[in-house]
Amino acid sequence: MTALTQSVPDMEALIKDGSNKSALTCLHCPSRILNASVGTYVEKEFSLPAMTKLKSQTDTENHVLKDFWKVSDMFHFENVGFSHTADGVKYLTCADCEMGPIGWHDLQTKENFVALCRVKNS
Amino acid sequence: MAKKTYDLLFKLLLIGDSGVGKTSILFRFSDDAFTSTFISTIGIDFKIKTVELRGKKIKLQIWDTAGQERFHTITTSYYRGAMGIMLVYDVTDERSFENIVKWLRNIDEHANEDVEKMILGNKCDIDGKRAVNKDRGEAIAREYGVPFLETSAKANTNIDKAFNDLATAILDKYAGKEPGDAPDRVMVDPRRGDTSRRSCC
Repeated sequence: MTALTQSVPDMEALIKDGSNKSALTCLHCPSRILNASVGTYVEKEFSLPAMTKLKSQTDTENHVLKDFWKVSDMFHFENVGFSHTADGVKYLTCADCEMGPIGWHDLQTKENFVALCRVKNS
Repeated sequence: MAKKTYDLLFKLLLIGDSGVGKTSILFRFSDDAFTSTFISTIGIDFKIKTVELRGKKIKLQIWDTAGQERFHTITTSYYRGAMGIMLVYDVTDERSFENIVKWLRNIDEHANEDVEKMILGNKCDIDGKRAVNKDRGEAIAREYGVPFLETSAKANTNIDKAFNDLATAILDKYAGKEPGDAPDRVMVDPRRGDTSRRSCC
């Protein structure tokens, strides 16, 4: 399993008062995931399985990500899907096209984290 | 952060035989080019969708049975807290239609008695293989006093309307039941269902 670190270019431009400046939408369809200013920016290292893989690949690559929007209550999302529990978490997906994981849900704290690099931030 | 981003929260369930397309109603674009192999392997538990009805922002939490129906293990715990139920059959599968009555009984036994129901005849985009005519769906819906729609998750026909109608019925119930308003929405009116605005079926 390869671990890649991904970062977000020009992150400062996406944050206003510690929150997401713009609404978050899916990278692949127009589905709105979160309204502006609902998420809180947090820096936290977490490894998420890749969203896509080549047909020839058997293993899912994991990407170590650092930049997340924290959403304290799942009902603060506009549209989002929750996977069955795997690896001790529930993965978040687009509610409409099912692309993911775009983040994860912590079963203990009930907090949700959306990876900045896996959603459209503007 | 404790700010409230919605007015109401409705828990909805999708019920019906295996293979009737419940999962694709929940995730209607899943046949599209973009599929995440990782996510489709572990499967989706539930989804949250936001709708706006009568100026109220409503969060829908929608649960799929995730194959439990195969083992007839749908019992009280699954129904707990459910305010609305979509009963789904496949218009190309006679048996799934016959089982709607069985599911209605199951709901009567296990769910809250004032849960709002709606019957959906799914896959109405498949013309050649239709086994259940629309009027049979309407007849059973009338018999049980449940609204009815034919849907196609694949062609995206009536899916949004189904969720909006069910949410509206729940909203009417909890909003103090404006007299003369709610019955129109709760009862099946075949004339209205036949309008050609969305004439896929």
